[in-house]
Amino acid sequence: MPLTDSQFMRYSRHLLMDDIAESGQQRLLDSHVLIVGMGGLGCPVSLYLAAAGIGELTLCDSDTVDRTNLQRQVLYAEEDCGKPKVECAQNRLHALNAETKIHIYPEQLSGEILANSYDLVIDCTDNLAARQQLNAHCVAHKIPFVSAAALGWEGQLVAFDFAHNDHLCLNCIIDKDAPEPIMNCGNAGVVGPVLGAMGSLQATTAIRVLLGYFQQHGQIQRYDGKKGQWLGLTAEAKQHCAICGIP
Amino acid sequence: MIRLLFFGRLGDVAAGVATSIEASEGLTPSAVREALAVDYPSLAAELSQPQVLVSIDQCIADWDQPIADGAELAFLPPVTGG
Repeated sequence: MPLTDSQFMRYSRHLLMDDIAESGQQRLLDSHVLIVGMGGLGCPVSLYLAAAGIGELTLCDSDTVDRTNLQRQVLYAEEDCGKPKVECAQNRLHALNAETKIHIYPEQLSGEILANSYDLVIDCTDNLAARQQLNAHCVAHKIPFVSAAALGWEGQLVAFDFAHNDHLCLNCIIDKDAPEPIMNCGNAGVVGPVLGAMGSLQATTAIRVLLGYFQQHGQIQRYDGKKGQWLGLTAEAKQHCAICGIP
Repeated sequence: MIRLLFFGRLGDVAAGVATSIEASEGLTPSAVREALAVDYPSLAAELSQPQVLVSIDQCIADWDQPIADGAELAFLPPVTGG
């Protein structure tokens, strides 16, 4: 379907780019992205993807907005405290781009949510169990998967194009049975803009994947915001990985 | 020699620790951690936390993977929040 006059205006800064142009914008408009976790990562991810014109966003988070969230979760305002995050996010994102369909699940990740059809899944959760559940689903259904995390001054990003790669998944890097670390944002803190940086990179990676420009399956980016350092890492598939390995 | 990199907050814990270690036959990240534990028990404890990653020459490695002379061994603390 050709872009409308309104869409030509709204997305003009994409349309000016030869490697996005009208066909790329149409691809973004036709895409459906699942965002799991609407905290410090999910807020910037959803803002940028709604602004970019992703056609459908599904948001999943069981939490309500807490006053301690406002230091970093930039979608929410003081009057949102006590309300479900996904409802507040839906309202805010609809105000930003009414053309993007926003589906919400104010509940924990479930098979029902994963049963929908997605072009891309974005992990904005805060625990390994949810990350591994998403990873296993994306491996099994060949869905690209973009995962990030942050703590203190540090962030990590890793993305997998399972549509074009069968092996090397999150479980090859972090064993699904590994215990949760003692430190988390709730007891060790986190710098808000570090989440913003990693969330922005997740959104950028999502757009790259959807437009067919992503070639870094399983590569890891680490960021130390205190020292201003980046570290790029590769990983190798584990032959006997319980999720993507050869049985 | 093997260059040591303690990324992120591990760098704070490793303040004053040598940035290289003598290479030896079959040396692994686990063995390096054990060697560090002698003089830096708090650092070794941090390196023993769940989900600490190690890389050899910027490639994620197993704790029992041999490290070649001249390589860089990096320790990366877990990041889990979202």
